[in-house]
Amino acid sequence: MIIETGIPALDDHLHGGVPQGKSLVYYAYPGVECNVFGMQTVHRAVSEGGRGVYVTSSTDPRMIRDLFKEFGWDAAEYGDRFVIVDGFSGLVGADSPEQYVVSNPDDAASLTQAIKQVMEDAREPSVIVFESLSTIMDLCGESATLAAIEEWNRYAMLYDHVVVYNFTAWPYSEDTLEHVRGDIFNSVVSIGGITEKVIFGQYFGVRKIDWDEVTKKCILFKVLKPGGVRVYLPKILVTGPFDAGKSTFVHALSTRAVSVDRLGTTVALDHGHVDHRGFAADIFGTPGQERFDPIVKLLSGEAMGVFLIIDSTNTADFVRARHMLEITESTGLPVVIVANKQDLEGALTPEEIRRELDMAQDAPVMPVVATTREGVFEAFDVLVDRVMEAGSI
Amino acid sequence: MTTSEMLEKVLIDLGRVGEIEACAIATRDGLLMQANMSAKGDPETFVAMSATMLGAAETASSELGKGVPKRVIVEADDGKLICMGAGPKALVVAMTAPGVGLGLVLVELSKAAAKVEKLL
Repeated sequence: MIIETGIPALDDHLHGGVPQGKSLVYYAYPGVECNVFGMQTVHRAVSEGGRGVYVTSSTDPRMIRDLFKEFGWDAAEYGDRFVIVDGFSGLVGADSPEQYVVSNPDDAASLTQAIKQVMEDAREPSVIVFESLSTIMDLCGESATLAAIEEWNRYAMLYDHVVVYNFTAWPYSEDTLEHVRGDIFNSVVSIGGITEKVIFGQYFGVRKIDWDEVTKKCILFKVLKPGGVRVYLPKILVTGPFDAGKSTFVHALSTRAVSVDRLGTTVALDHGHVDHRGFAADIFGTPGQERFDPIVKLLSGEAMGVFLIIDSTNTADFVRARHMLEITESTGLPVVIVANKQDLEGALTPEEIRRELDMAQDAPVMPVVATTREGVFEAFDVLVDRVMEAGSI
Repeated sequence: MTTSEMLEKVLIDLGRVGEIEACAIATRDGLLMQANMSAKGDPETFVAMSATMLGAAETASSELGKGVPKRVIVEADDGKLICMGAGPKALVVAMTAPGVGLGLVLVELSKAAAKVEKLL
């Protein structure tokens, strides 16, 4: 059986998820928040009806459920399928409300004892997530922790559990980091920040898996509260001729959007946020009238994908539509043609539109009625797939 | 220190100017780079609109042969908004309370813009 991580796009790159008995480490560079990855993975396991164990090391167990709630995940609903191993209270000498308590969190053997216990007690294969492997390393020492990890992983393999670790690569010895990145885990997902390019953001990517081929690709992400980790597309352009329905399309797609409208036409820009199927995107809608072309040019830089909106009943504007792709310098970017106003009489079919526009055979033309949202999210899915194929960074 | 941390520092320094309530750095084409706006609305939308404003002002003014404008100032009942280019790639935008005199804010914003231009 394969356990999904619940991180959008990551499961695809892991070829479905993490097979039972295997381990995965979220290897984060300092400055990047990685705990949400482990939380999202345990949340996915439990909400799919599985069993999840969360080993806390740096957070009071009483706070853990609140942390989950911030992302919109109600741990109270998990019931006894969600178990916390308390590796925190022992540090501050507090009583623990949890069933599994590590008596000496700064002793790897004590931790091992609690973890073996919880692995043995589990009646079914579970997902075990370590809140912070780096905290454990700070407490127990690097070499003792590395030795303990091998023991935990071997035990997990025996019981068919999946073990997931959050790890922040603080300046440990190069040897230790080499081990963490290299040989002690079955899979490594690195999480980092882009800090030297014009777009600043965070990415993740699979660095190693030992059960299939690695596809080297970096995926931009954003953490939403509520929501958790989302694949992030900072700029998707919506363009097309005057009165094709660009603003309507932006609003139909977005959870929230603003427009600069005067006399029913967009004079500056529509801007919206989409949160759909694990993808978060910021949408930039351009004006369509020719007198605003300088603005269109200005706003279209660094787009990752383009929706070209077309009024399916108005072939006269198709030349202008093609021209707008040139103005926005969209050549080479993933483009989806949105054949809008399909509900009107005289609307051409997507095939006719592709022919009229003289687009390539494989250019996707999606039938849409933006006013009723019909086909809007299907078009979004197609564009997102294209953008992901093209590779984001 | 990474570039993004340096930009963050520029904004934190700008935030220390008492009159400035919120500020952000964005690309000329409207993508957010850094924001210091403590829950004052949605930073992505704020910078996208600011970039549009500045771009439109620059186009309007240069079309008329008046050169590239130094800044765009918006005066509203509840505050002021100042948008300034920071080199060819970026822009800086700041929000102030309504009664604020612009002298100090403009000086500080120009300094910040000059720093941003050098950092990118």
